[in-house]
Amino acid sequence: MNFLSRFKPSSREGSLGLILIVTIAITGIINPRFLTGDGTRDLFTSTAVVALLAIGMAPIIIMRHIDLSVASTVGLTAWFIADLCAKHPEFTWVQCFIIGPIIGMVVGVINGLLVAGLRLPSLVVTLGTLYIVRGAVYVISNSVDYNAQEMPPSLLDLGQKVYFGIMPFTFLLVIFAMLITAWFMKYRKAGRDCYAIGSNPHAADLVGIKVFRRTFLAFVFSGAMSGLAGVFYLMRFAQVDSTAFYGQELAVVAAAVIGGVTIAGGSGTTVGATIGALLVQTIQGGLAAIGVDAFWKSAINGLLLIVAIYADRTLARKSENALLAQRIKERA
Amino acid sequence: MAQKGDLLLQMKGVQKRFGGAIALRGTDLSIRAGEIHALLGENGAGKSTMLKILAGVHVNDGGTISIGDKPFTTGSPQASIEQGIAVIYQEPSLFLDLTLAENVFIGRQPMKGVAIDWAQAQSEAARLFAELGVPLDPKRQARGLSIADQQVVEIAKALSMNANIILMDEPTAALSASEVERLMTVMKSLKAANKAVIFVSHRLDEVFAISDYITVMRDGATVSENPVGGTDLQKVIKEMVGRELTELFPKTENKIGDVALEIKDLTNPAYFRNISFTVRHGEIVALAGLVGSGRSEVARAIFGIDKYTTGSVKVNGKDLAKGSPVAAMAEKIALVPEDRRQQGLFMIASVNRNISMESFDRIKGKIFLNFKKERALTEIWREKLSIKYEAQSNPVESLSGGNQQKTVLAKWLATDPDILIVDEPTRGIDVGTKAEVHKLINAAAGEGKAVLMISSELPEVLGMADRIIIMREGHKVAELSRLEATQEKVIAAATTGSKGA
Repeated sequence: MNFLSRFKPSSREGSLGLILIVTIAITGIINPRFLTGDGTRDLFTSTAVVALLAIGMAPIIIMRHIDLSVASTVGLTAWFIADLCAKHPEFTWVQCFIIGPIIGMVVGVINGLLVAGLRLPSLVVTLGTLYIVRGAVYVISNSVDYNAQEMPPSLLDLGQKVYFGIMPFTFLLVIFAMLITAWFMKYRKAGRDCYAIGSNPHAADLVGIKVFRRTFLAFVFSGAMSGLAGVFYLMRFAQVDSTAFYGQELAVVAAAVIGGVTIAGGSGTTVGATIGALLVQTIQGGLAAIGVDAFWKSAINGLLLIVAIYADRTLARKSENALLAQRIKERA
Repeated sequence: MAQKGDLLLQMKGVQKRFGGAIALRGTDLSIRAGEIHALLGENGAGKSTMLKILAGVHVNDGGTISIGDKPFTTGSPQASIEQGIAVIYQEPSLFLDLTLAENVFIGRQPMKGVAIDWAQAQSEAARLFAELGVPLDPKRQARGLSIADQQVVEIAKALSMNANIILMDEPTAALSASEVERLMTVMKSLKAANKAVIFVSHRLDEVFAISDYITVMRDGATVSENPVGGTDLQKVIKEMVGRELTELFPKTENKIGDVALEIKDLTNPAYFRNISFTVRHGEIVALAGLVGSGRSEVARAIFGIDKYTTGSVKVNGKDLAKGSPVAAMAEKIALVPEDRRQQGLFMIASVNRNISMESFDRIKGKIFLNFKKERALTEIWREKLSIKYEAQSNPVESLSGGNQQKTVLAKWLATDPDILIVDEPTRGIDVGTKAEVHKLINAAAGEGKAVLMISSELPEVLGMADRIIIMREGHKVAELSRLEATQEKVIAAATTGSKGA
């Protein structure tokens, strides 16, 4: 027991990582193809978009807000870039990587001004922009679709690029994004302010935290990541229409929450959010690999979410009970 | 660094009004380095207003304030912090998800290059905690910390900001005896470091044990400022109370009947222990004591919102099921809660919907609710309680505080309860409306209802109650009849637990 407890992960991300490895191992035992280079690469490729969005969303959820407009923004960016590339054949991946985040940031600025500036509830504001942005895609696209032949070959090549046989270029960028944001959230004052704001908004005002600036910038950041995710979407699917990534915003929220980003704000990390996205994808892929009908996909996702919330609540109750016990002892 | 005895803060003739209400009408206060200064007064005497002016939450309308030899700049909490003033509110405002080290240094974290130097923050926080004599783990989350330890973190924060003047608003209200002991040790170490500590407290035994100076306030003005040796308990209590009971409390002699509510050995070890008392039909029993003494918790347990571990509640001789407000309401008990905005009313719902909320049986048609009956019901209570609103359909949040309070009362009186429990029925409402609420409560008792009233306002308790039960730190310490009770006795019991004064 003592020996085992030495390996007990101390942090939440450690536990999640452990769960992820166990899940991968079980799936691998049932279906060995899952553990091959191809299988792992597929896992990373298919997780990249959601993972990137979850990294962008994590600071917002930590601040007790939410951004539901991300999937629509992915659709908008993906279609817009494809359209630009079709009209400008000279464009390469470089332009795509610049334009994508800029488009996303425009949506982020609108969200940020409404939420931080007017102090409107983010759930409603971003639900609004979810519909507005998607509506804009329908109108602008005018039912035009784009396929691989209209897109820059350099971009598609990059989408196919794999390092060490297992690590796709897109997921490598996800890891970079994860590490940089994780560092920022832990070692910069602005990052710590996010946790403080989500933990106790009233006290955040009392200690003089710049609540407007932090909230606004978090939404702009989420927008930028959504824009980049739009580029990733093109790299993965090499085709886009006005319904691209429709309805996937809640999958992003689910990934973050499963990864330990508390919906009530104040705790969570981008590392957790990324692992959460991987875990969802692994379980999906694993179930497919052992022959479970794809119709079960949503139901399993939902179950996972509830289990994650339950685990959260159980931990919270544990500390509440400890507090009560201490109180009883002191009053005795 | 200030020397002991240096004048750190001086307030002269400070005034503050909120609309028509005068909160401060000329307050003086002088605070010296290395001194613990107690600020005493009844509720509404202006203590909190004064602290909030110093904290930068409010701006004074008149008078002068100087910090050292410079005039005090008001305006924002940030400005006060920069002038060396730190405030520790009654409810510590920590970030529960963050570590203690981080709570101490939030917004002022030590940096190493471009990154926060966590090791430095933690060792510095550990040093501050050690200095305060409470070795908390700086890497621990603030969640789950006792109120007392949270205060220590707040004090460490104040020290890390180099605050010279530390204000504490009722720091001991929610603490147990051993925690109070420890806080006093911390206050003494602050004093030894030549800081000035100003604290508000209603626990007079503590005040005399620790402070160097005592300032008593009443009705927005300073009544006296004495070194602790120059005054005594009796004198301070007299100065705090200071006025005759006026005709505010139209006590009527009601016919007192059988026992309606009988509480026996009620215990919830976290909040109260072995509480026993009875309330008779037609009787008003007041539950007095300091905030945090467990009064509201007892009421909540009787009504079934919270559970209790042992003991019993009997209504008209019958056992009442525990933990069930539905059962309590079936036995015609009504609880008008302390916090009307959070617990008593549906603020955005209309006046009539709020009043009829617990009386659907009365406004039911055959299948659907009969809204004509709802309007009639509301009209009845508007007249009885003279509630002022423009239209029944207006949301309750558009009403004034006093009218909101009357609406909550109407909601529960409309259920025609046998037993009426009211928690702080007149908190935050003006004098005129207060008298009306008192009249209503008296009238309810006159109709033979048993009334249990929780109140922190002594004049109210003494003016209204037939009997007074006094709680302190979760225990019943005294029970006084209307004839026995005096302000001094009640204060003495609530603050020191002793019966005589």
